[in-house]
Amino acid sequence: MKVKILAALSGVALLVHQYMIWHYAPVAQSGPVQKIFYMHLPCSWWALVSFFVVFVSSLLYLFRRDPAYDRVAGAAAELGVLFATLSLVTGSVWARAEWGHWWVWDPKLTTALIMWYVYAGYLVLRSTPMGRDRKALVCAVLGIVAFLDVPLVFFAAKLWGSAHPDGLARQGSGMEPRMWHTVFAGLVAFGFMWGALLLTRAGQLGRMARLEAMLVWDDEE
Amino acid sequence: MAPAGGALLAVKRAAKFYGSKLVFKEVTCEVRPGEIVLVAGPNGAGKSTLMRIMAGLSRPSAGEVTLHVEPECTAYLGHSTFIYPGMTALANLGFWGTMYGLSPSREELTALLARVGLERAAEEKAGSFSRGMAQRLNLARIYLVNPRLIFLDEPGTGLDPRSLALLRREIVAFRDQGTSVVWISHHVREDAALADTVLALGGRRVEYFGPAAEYEVEVETC
Amino acid sequence: MLKRAAAMASKDLKLSVSGGQGLVQAVLLGLLLIFLFSLSKPLGGAISAQAAGAIFWLASAFGLVLVFNDLFAIEEANGARMGILSSPAPVHAVWIGKGVAGLCLLLVSQLVFLPATVAFLDQTVHGPWWLMLVTLAGADIGLVVIGALLGALSQGQAARESLLSVIVFPLLLPVLLSGITLFSMCFSPGTSEGFDGWLGLIFAFDALFSGAGLFLFPFVYSGEE
Repeated sequence: MKVKILAALSGVALLVHQYMIWHYAPVAQSGPVQKIFYMHLPCSWWALVSFFVVFVSSLLYLFRRDPAYDRVAGAAAELGVLFATLSLVTGSVWARAEWGHWWVWDPKLTTALIMWYVYAGYLVLRSTPMGRDRKALVCAVLGIVAFLDVPLVFFAAKLWGSAHPDGLARQGSGMEPRMWHTVFAGLVAFGFMWGALLLTRAGQLGRMARLEAMLVWDDEE
Repeated sequence: MAPAGGALLAVKRAAKFYGSKLVFKEVTCEVRPGEIVLVAGPNGAGKSTLMRIMAGLSRPSAGEVTLHVEPECTAYLGHSTFIYPGMTALANLGFWGTMYGLSPSREELTALLARVGLERAAEEKAGSFSRGMAQRLNLARIYLVNPRLIFLDEPGTGLDPRSLALLRREIVAFRDQGTSVVWISHHVREDAALADTVLALGGRRVEYFGPAAEYEVEVETC
Repeated sequence: MLKRAAAMASKDLKLSVSGGQGLVQAVLLGLLLIFLFSLSKPLGGAISAQAAGAIFWLASAFGLVLVFNDLFAIEEANGARMGILSSPAPVHAVWIGKGVAGLCLLLVSQLVFLPATVAFLDQTVHGPWWLMLVTLAGADIGLVVIGALLGALSQGQAARESLLSVIVFPLLLPVLLSGITLFSMCFSPGTSEGFDGWLGLIFAFDALFSGAGLFLFPFVYSGEE
């Protein structure tokens, strides 16, 4: 039920967001290509939120040992990688249009790329065959370590960028109020979608675990 | 530390899930000083899992395990031999001594090796040992620790008849000097005769927990 | 606890040096990488100091993965992990012991990589030497802390080396970037301006993950199947 409400809300909100992007927000100096930013930013934000959810539910799993937290962490990591992928692709397209390069050394972009690698590795670990309890523990540990790494990676990328003249800083300034409204609407719309996806996926994983419990006989002594 | 006549180890309503799959539940049992508890049950009944929970290696999903002896006074002997193949028998034993916070002298270690009939192999790399020799070295580790509670997880797997007979003798000897033994065995019919108490798992719960003399082996659970 | 950690480390070092393949493999793979990258030198040109630093730290990172896989595999051969866990030895003794052993092995392999970098990639160490040594020590501690924490997680897997590399390399990025930058400062004759920020980053990484490792290692190294 919660999922249905969230899904309906996200459908409406996404439509409103699209309308705002094309008809409400003014065209920026750099031309209509800037509009990709309205989809790029929510993806990055919700990717980061996903990774934070992985971190929190990993901690909760270690303390409570409830498999539900493990499933939430798994679902959030999948969503995080999905949103980070979208954010990287949109960011890359935008950079190409704005600066003529598919990839520029920007601390935020670089951090996003590295975190994409880290959490893709996390998903690989999740899909390796291992005892259930052990896998849940090991994944929780990696989920915590990975999130602790985020600020360090960001700082490193920033230091690196400041030392290399080819590093370009993105300007976020010069935005009109109408642009900000659109950005905000995008965050909300993607948030509803994110919530619906997370609940659906966590529920799916829960049903999978229950099915497995009914069907599979463990031969371990 | 144990109250006089009280249990060394008490398991109260323990349950274990793997994910949502139930291995067993409502397992309640205790181990009293100086008795052999034989754990029986078919494959997949969760014998090893229960033993790992008793030994504190794994957490029960519900229920509790109370240990009334210090961890220094317990020892665990599984079907794997815990032996580092690249080290000599003596070095293996010395390493485990350090892990248990003991500092045995070379003479003590040699004496222990002699007790399990490995005195001539003391300086040999343990990797060259047969399964029986490796398990005897493992037994020496238990002597070294001098525990009050021993967990045996099918130590007899793959042993030759001579080593198996030695193992059985030693288990009884341990009991006779007051050490408690929790023992998972595949040869229930023979080994139940040596045990004091039988704990039989089956159908994801305890099927039988009581005196070994009254336990009837219905089917060979091999 | 320290006595047990020392026993652990000395046992691991003995086994790795006498029979383990981890160290030999790490040294060989690193040397091979350094040599192969020397082929990217343009005709009549030179490999930049920064590229040399990157190659050195790449070789070290691969070495780290091989070394720690080997160190944790020692316990898996005959199930000794259960023996250690069922003994009264604190599990942190394993973390510290493996970390110390890994640090020694990593330093040994870097003793080979550094001259190889100088020779194959045609670099000169302009110094300052203290900066190079501090970088080496700090970055190695960072690598080893992560290696000792996560080395245990891929045990029992078929392709554990590749699994561990995929997981560990991106996590190590802050340390690797710092190592690369600081080494390129040492390989080039210019000033070493701005080194303090990078050194700070290295030691922040070391401190953060030492703390995290202390808390998290017992969960990775457990008797759960």
